[in-house]
Amino acid sequence: MKRSIPTVIGLAAAASLLAAGCGGGSSSDSDSASGPVTLTLAGWSLSTTPEFKTLADGFHATHPDVTVEVKEYDAANYDTQITADLAAGSAPDIYAQKTLKNLYTYATGGQLMDVSDVAKKLSNSVGGLDAYQVDGKTYAIPYRQDSWVLFYNKELFDKAKVAYPDGSWTWDDYVTAAKQLTDGLKAAGSKAVGTYQHVWQSTVQGFALAQTPGAKLTSGDFSYLKPYYERSLDLQNAGAQPSLGTATTNKLTYQAQFGKQQAAMLPMGTWYIATLLAQRESGDADKFDWGIAPAPQFDKSTTGTSNTPVTFGDPTGFGINTAIKKSKISAAKEFLAYAAGPEGAKALAGIGITPADTAAVTDTFFALDGMPTDELSKFAFAKHDTKPENPVSKYTAGLQNILNDAHTAILSGSKSIDSALGEAQNRAKNEVLNQ
Amino acid sequence: MTTLPGVRRRRSRLVWRNTVVGWTFILPNFAGFAALTLVPVVVLFYVAFTNWNVFGVADWTGLANFRRMIHDASFRTALQNTVYYTVLHIPLTLAASLGLALLLNRKLRGLGFFRTAAFFPYITSIVALTYVWNLLFSPEYGPINGFLRAIGIAHPPGWTTSADWSMPAVIIVGTWREMGYYMLLYLAGLQTIPAELYEAARVDGANAWQRFRSVTLPGLRPTTFLVAVLLTIGSFKVFDVILLLTNGGPGQSTLVLSQFIYQKGFVENQFGYASAVSIVLFAICFLVTAIQFLVNKRRNA
Amino acid sequence: MDTTLVAPPAGAGELVVPGRRRRRPRNRVWRALGYLAMLVAAAALLLPFYWMVMSSLKTNNEVFTIPIKWVPDSAVWHNYLDIWQKSQMTTWLRNTLILSVAVTALQVLTGSFAAYGFAKVRFPGRDLLFLGYIGTIAVPWQSYMIPQFILMSKMHLSNTLWSIIFLQAFGAFGVFLMKQYYESIPDELLEAARIDGLSEYGIYRRIMLPLSVPAIASLTLLTFVTTWNDYLGPLIYLRSPDLRTIQLGLSTFIAQYNAEYALIMTGSVLSVLPIAVIFLLGQRYFLEGIATTGLKG
Repeated sequence: MKRSIPTVIGLAAAASLLAAGCGGGSSSDSDSASGPVTLTLAGWSLSTTPEFKTLADGFHATHPDVTVEVKEYDAANYDTQITADLAAGSAPDIYAQKTLKNLYTYATGGQLMDVSDVAKKLSNSVGGLDAYQVDGKTYAIPYRQDSWVLFYNKELFDKAKVAYPDGSWTWDDYVTAAKQLTDGLKAAGSKAVGTYQHVWQSTVQGFALAQTPGAKLTSGDFSYLKPYYERSLDLQNAGAQPSLGTATTNKLTYQAQFGKQQAAMLPMGTWYIATLLAQRESGDADKFDWGIAPAPQFDKSTTGTSNTPVTFGDPTGFGINTAIKKSKISAAKEFLAYAAGPEGAKALAGIGITPADTAAVTDTFFALDGMPTDELSKFAFAKHDTKPENPVSKYTAGLQNILNDAHTAILSGSKSIDSALGEAQNRAKNEVLNQ
Repeated sequence: MTTLPGVRRRRSRLVWRNTVVGWTFILPNFAGFAALTLVPVVVLFYVAFTNWNVFGVADWTGLANFRRMIHDASFRTALQNTVYYTVLHIPLTLAASLGLALLLNRKLRGLGFFRTAAFFPYITSIVALTYVWNLLFSPEYGPINGFLRAIGIAHPPGWTTSADWSMPAVIIVGTWREMGYYMLLYLAGLQTIPAELYEAARVDGANAWQRFRSVTLPGLRPTTFLVAVLLTIGSFKVFDVILLLTNGGPGQSTLVLSQFIYQKGFVENQFGYASAVSIVLFAICFLVTAIQFLVNKRRNA
Repeated sequence: MDTTLVAPPAGAGELVVPGRRRRRPRNRVWRALGYLAMLVAAAALLLPFYWMVMSSLKTNNEVFTIPIKWVPDSAVWHNYLDIWQKSQMTTWLRNTLILSVAVTALQVLTGSFAAYGFAKVRFPGRDLLFLGYIGTIAVPWQSYMIPQFILMSKMHLSNTLWSIIFLQAFGAFGVFLMKQYYESIPDELLEAARIDGLSEYGIYRRIMLPLSVPAIASLTLLTFVTTWNDYLGPLIYLRSPDLRTIQLGLSTFIAQYNAEYALIMTGSVLSVLPIAVIFLLGQRYFLEGIATTGLKG
């Protein structure tokens, strides 16, 4: 027995409208094909996330008869609001995929148009395309691809008399350096600590999943997380990084921890570059010498500038609402191609955002005021094998919830690593993977 | 007893008249209520027996969602935590709000200030106040543990960062926040007790405690009933305080049912299953409330 | 029995205070202790608000420090000027005020009206219907908000202030609260009025309403505060920046200026102030015009 829920509700609504005696006019727009087209686009926090406006304006400049109108959504509740609008049939023509978590639901729920034809025409240097595939079809086109790297404060390294990262680090090297930094900084009379891993599960699990050979989220075997958690606990216990408890109860922000020189290192996504530059200008961050290095690696096989370091990061992409009017589809597809292509990439780099086509813009990017100029920073920015944090599948959202519980249980010291991961595996098997 | 036909007819006319009058009173509210709350709730009951994922069609899956719940360890954890919260939160808040109301139901200088102070936690933005409580609870640097260490407790609890103490911490904040709200209901309730009853009790030589037992408490029964029902429902549905204070953690130590519903629905897009859990939560609430109604009715009789 | 039932409200400030007539020295000690207890309680209750106000007078970096700084080094008053320039505070306050007033008026009016039907008119099916009302309070909103949203969208109400008004105004809570208070008013009073020839509507207007001023004051305040502080409702229903309420505005403000804690706290203080003032002015009505005068006999 199949029933469309909106239809059921629609009937109820119609009945209550009749009862109230005020039927609303039905919106039957005619599908006129020619003439100027207006596309609507869903974005979030427009004042701090200028990328939507930048792309909309840039597209209009090259396609004068197409206007892209950006609709603002709440950043923290973007998916909730979009879900509600899609269900009610009032969502915009094009909507951004903020994370990969919901792509599966949107795609299999018939809310995203198949855009494989757009994907085929794009250049190979566009990162993150594969992440948007479900059953061999592409449902969204990435325009932005952030990757996790290691930010470091050169002045604090100098003060603690520790050598800068050189691209050869494994996680053990990173832990050693963090401890040396903490001791060295204490000796130099500074209160800063070695590193700051933010409270998110990504800071541990994202790297573990991307780097450990054979690790697979949907396998339900989470033993690959163990060495990564041992190192995190080691850092907490040694005082080389604030504990999860302190970070959550005191609402520590990574921007302040690194920007105000409370920590010498920060594993974080490349989106932080734009934030850091902006905060240096506004005074919310100190002006100090900094750099970026590739993320520490699982083992020596991927370290060094002759290899490609492995890291993670979800792309951000645009998808087309299946409820779009037929006459607008070709314009919408052109917009997707523009946003992912070199023109869109240049426009994005100009405002400090990491586009999906990173290689095309490294020079533009490093010409921005306040950027480091060393070669390793450029290497770290331009070259990496970025795996998705949330590989698209039916189970991703459920599994990530379970792993987040394990994350807080382990780092708060409430459970041992083994028992927390064992429980997570049981829950994955009995609550998610059996659905 | 014999009822004559005429009496019965008059009786039924009275019933008819009363029904019409009663409905005219209820209708303005009921129309809006039925259209905007009742209809969606009925849809919810339908959705609970499907695998609806918000979009498009929903397959009828019968009792599958409920069978799944029985074997879902997270659901059990959430249920246990909800009961834990409810069992401690209700009596604590009931006592605290009644105490506050009694304290503030008298002639005092600055009464308005004190009442406003008591109501403040309820009106202050929940985001701001959970910020502050988190700081207060900070295990190493927070003033609460600073105080506990000062009075000689060497190893004070980890509060929101410990699996054993996170729920008590949440209960403290929940009680602290809501007692001003229920105090307000009690204050209004205290006004309905005639002063003459106190005078009479005094004349009979009753002391303060006896007057409280034999005049105040019985006089407050409708209010206490109201407060108890609202507290029960509110406690079973507790959501925002937990979401902002601990987000259900550490681990699953403060995961409650309404958060579980939110996770399954809005994070994992399993609205069918989420609706089924809602129905269980609703059934529990309803059952407890119905018992309260029955007890209340018997006492009034 | 006195049948001139419509009792004039007792004079403002004249308190109905049981058991406070005679003064004894021992009472003074108790009084002082009572004050002390209340001062301590008030301090504990106001602590987070105090912290909010203090933080709004700090610089950003002073807000979160280890250990907590209870007093700013020097008060930064310009936060209270900056916020009006950096945000659309006026729009947010206006929208919230419109919503709160409209919702409160509708809720109190329809709620107390329906409560009279439930409390004082006997008809078949009444108790069952009432249980249905209470039942929906027990259903968590997040579980039916999507069907409700679809419904409102089909009626072309989403993204208008009307959606929030309809969402909040017909809640079962007001009916429940008013019914409880009406039930504490004795039926004899109504019977007498019926014998005097008053219709049910007349009884409601001329007896029940005046007698239930404290309950109406409570309901007014609680509805007003709930609407004022509602976050999830506006979040789901409102998209346009011109329609933002204070809570929604504050949260976008936090997303926009995520490091400007001091300014965020300034916004929070400003969002609480109107309610605090309303409460301070309104709370004395709880003590006025109450049932006892009409019930002698």
